[in-house]
Amino acid sequence: MNSPELANSSILTMNSEQAMSSTARKLPGDLAMWFFILAELTVFAIFFIGFAVAEQLNSEMFAAGKAQLHPIAGLINTIALITSSLFVALSLNALYKGNTKQTVKLLIIAQLVACIYLVVKIGEYQFLFAAGIDIETNSFFTLYFLITAFHFMHVLLGMVILIFMTVKASKDGYNNNLAGFESGASYWHMVDMLWIILFPLIYVI
Amino acid sequence: MTADNKAILSWLALILLTFTSVYLDLMIKHYEFFICSVLLIVFFKGQQIIDIFMELKEAPKKWRLLMLSYVILLPLIISLIYIF
Repeated sequence: MNSPELANSSILTMNSEQAMSSTARKLPGDLAMWFFILAELTVFAIFFIGFAVAEQLNSEMFAAGKAQLHPIAGLINTIALITSSLFVALSLNALYKGNTKQTVKLLIIAQLVACIYLVVKIGEYQFLFAAGIDIETNSFFTLYFLITAFHFMHVLLGMVILIFMTVKASKDGYNNNLAGFESGASYWHMVDMLWIILFPLIYVI
Repeated sequence: MTADNKAILSWLALILLTFTSVYLDLMIKHYEFFICSVLLIVFFKGQQIIDIFMELKEAPKKWRLLMLSYVILLPLIISLIYIF
C-alpha cells in the first residue's frame, strides 16, 4: 500500500474511534460522588424499611401519629423539591450550551424554590412542638423526627453545594471541566429521590 | 426532543404522579391494592429522576440498573412488609 492510502486509512480509523467515543456512555460527575450517593441511599433504605416494620408492629400508634401530620405540607415539600430538581437539571443543560448567565439564574431559582421546603419543614416541626410532641413522644415520632431531620440535613448540605456551584459557575469555573457541577446536581437529585420515597411512606400510606 | 423539553415533561409527570398518589386513597378502598399502587408510583417517579434528571439513561448500563434497582427493590420490600 502507498503512503497516501496508509494515511487515509489511519484518518478513517481515527474518525471512527472518535465517533465511537463521542457516543460512549458516560457516568455524569465524579465516581466518588456516586459512591457517596450509594452509601446515602443505603442508610436511608435501612431507615425506610425500619419504619415500615415498626409500623406493622405498632399499627394503631402509627395511625394516630400520622393523623397528627399534615399531608398537604408533605405535598408542598414534594412539589418544591421536584421543581427545584427541574431547575438544577435545566441549569446543567444551560451549562452544556455554554450559557453561564442562564446557568447561574436557574441555579438561584432552584435554591429559592428549595427554601419553600425548608420553611414548610420548620413550620411542621414548630407545629408539632407546640402540640407538645417531640422525638421522645413515642416510637412513631422518634422515627418521624429522625428520618425527616436526617433528610433535612441532606437538603441543607445540598443547598450549600448548590451555592458553591452557583458562585463557581458565575466565575466561569466550569469552562474546562463539568464533573463538579454534574456531581453536585446528581447529589441534589438524590435528595429529591429520597423524599419521593419518604413522603408516601410517612404521609400517605 | 430537546433536553430541556424532556426535563419539563418529566417534571409534569412527577407532579401528576404526586397528586395521584396523594388522592389514591379516595379512589382505591382495597388496602393491599392501595399500598402497591402508591409504591408503584414511587418506582415511576424514581425512574424519571434517575433517567432524566440524573441523566443515567445515557450512562453505563450497570450504573443505571443499580440506581433503578433501588426504586424497584425498596418499594417492593416495603410493600411486602405492609401486605404480609
